[in-house]
Amino acid sequence: MHFAAANPRKTGPIDRPDARRSPRNAVISGRYLEPGADLYMNDEVGGNPRRARFQALCQALRPDLLRFAFWLSRDRAVAEDVVQESMLRAWKAQDSILDEKATKPWLLTIIRREYARTFERKRLVTVDVDELVAREEPLLAAGEDHDLRDLRAAVLKLPDEYREPLVLQVLMGYSTAEIASELNLSGPAVLTRLFRARKKLREACAEDTALDPQE
Amino acid sequence: MTDHTRYRSSILADPHDADPELQAHLAACPECRAFTERLLRFESRLKRALSVDVAPSAPVLSFARKAASPPRHWMAIAASVLLGVGMAAVIWLSLPQRSLAADVLAHMAGEPDAWHTLEAVPGAELDAVLQSADMRLKPAAGIVSYAQRCRFRGHMVPHLVVQRPSGAVTVMVLEHENVRGATDFDEHGYRGTIVPIAGHGSIAVLMRDQSVSLSEIEQIAAQVGNSILWMR
Repeated sequence: MHFAAANPRKTGPIDRPDARRSPRNAVISGRYLEPGADLYMNDEVGGNPRRARFQALCQALRPDLLRFAFWLSRDRAVAEDVVQESMLRAWKAQDSILDEKATKPWLLTIIRREYARTFERKRLVTVDVDELVAREEPLLAAGEDHDLRDLRAAVLKLPDEYREPLVLQVLMGYSTAEIASELNLSGPAVLTRLFRARKKLREACAEDTALDPQE
Repeated sequence: MTDHTRYRSSILADPHDADPELQAHLAACPECRAFTERLLRFESRLKRALSVDVAPSAPVLSFARKAASPPRHWMAIAASVLLGVGMAAVIWLSLPQRSLAADVLAHMAGEPDAWHTLEAVPGAELDAVLQSADMRLKPAAGIVSYAQRCRFRGHMVPHLVVQRPSGAVTVMVLEHENVRGATDFDEHGYRGTIVPIAGHGSIAVLMRDQSVSLSEIEQIAAQVGNSILWMR
């Protein structure tokens, strides 16, 4: 079975850089960080305390951000790149954070947009889902718990339109309205996708689905 | 009136949907209650499945240093990296506790009737539940209005509801679950904490009353913990 690794998401107008950027060689210019940056300096962007606070916040959220990026991209390496790139964008735009509690959804939105850009840059990505599961085996493994590993593989095989709202709901604790807003869908459309996602997972994992309703 | 199909379709889309009509159907339908309990167990596993291991491999933000940067900046960078790795390790170590909280919440959703009664559980019934865990409860803990032995993560554990001046409090005695420190949670209409009990795992203490703060719940947890008399 083959299908595209992900769909580009249309999440609003975002400036695109003219040249390829490297997250490890960056300074601030316009919306992007460019080669030569040293954000440890007390430059116009801010001093060390501010940077330390922002970095601590990002560090605290990093595991969840990486998980989200992984389930979005189904590729650990891409997830790390997307999170790193998103952090750089977030650094530049950190003035827009008015409430630290809102930082996580703000970062998740940046990650979704960054992933959409990554997808646009790598248009030819098509994968065999069984190969994909084999490639990500280290991340899917759950010790002796083979059922958990199988459930992870089943999530990995879900189509994007079912996997993404499911991860937002279960892992990130988003409400239906928040998912609808993030994915630019109606509430009923979100619920339909979540219903189908769980149906598929339960069937794939040989759960007792005798009492599950049909669509 | 909600029927089985509508109820199950709704909770398959959102297992924690608190819609009053759905809750009324759940309370009146044993078949859907059993369905819900199975689904919540699956949901708990799904959350654990999605929480893949993402061991920290690099600092969050990596930037090139300026060639002219004085050496002391290297020290700052090194300290920053160490701090970052340390913080990531702390967060990483705390993740299993978050899973435990999720399982406690999933268990709560499977026993909605536990909160409804205000009458004290008959003494013999309460003793039987407590003795199964080799424990007793001092009267200072409060009136126990619900006491059951419940299967939780492969063990039978006491599940109590205690009537306190600030409201009904659920207590789960988790002797097999060791936690490193107090873990607070505030999700799905429940607010609570899981605290370690020296030599006896941990207890989960939670309330549905959102007017009670987490610090108050932590105090209640300490009082309940001190009210337990261990028989071994």
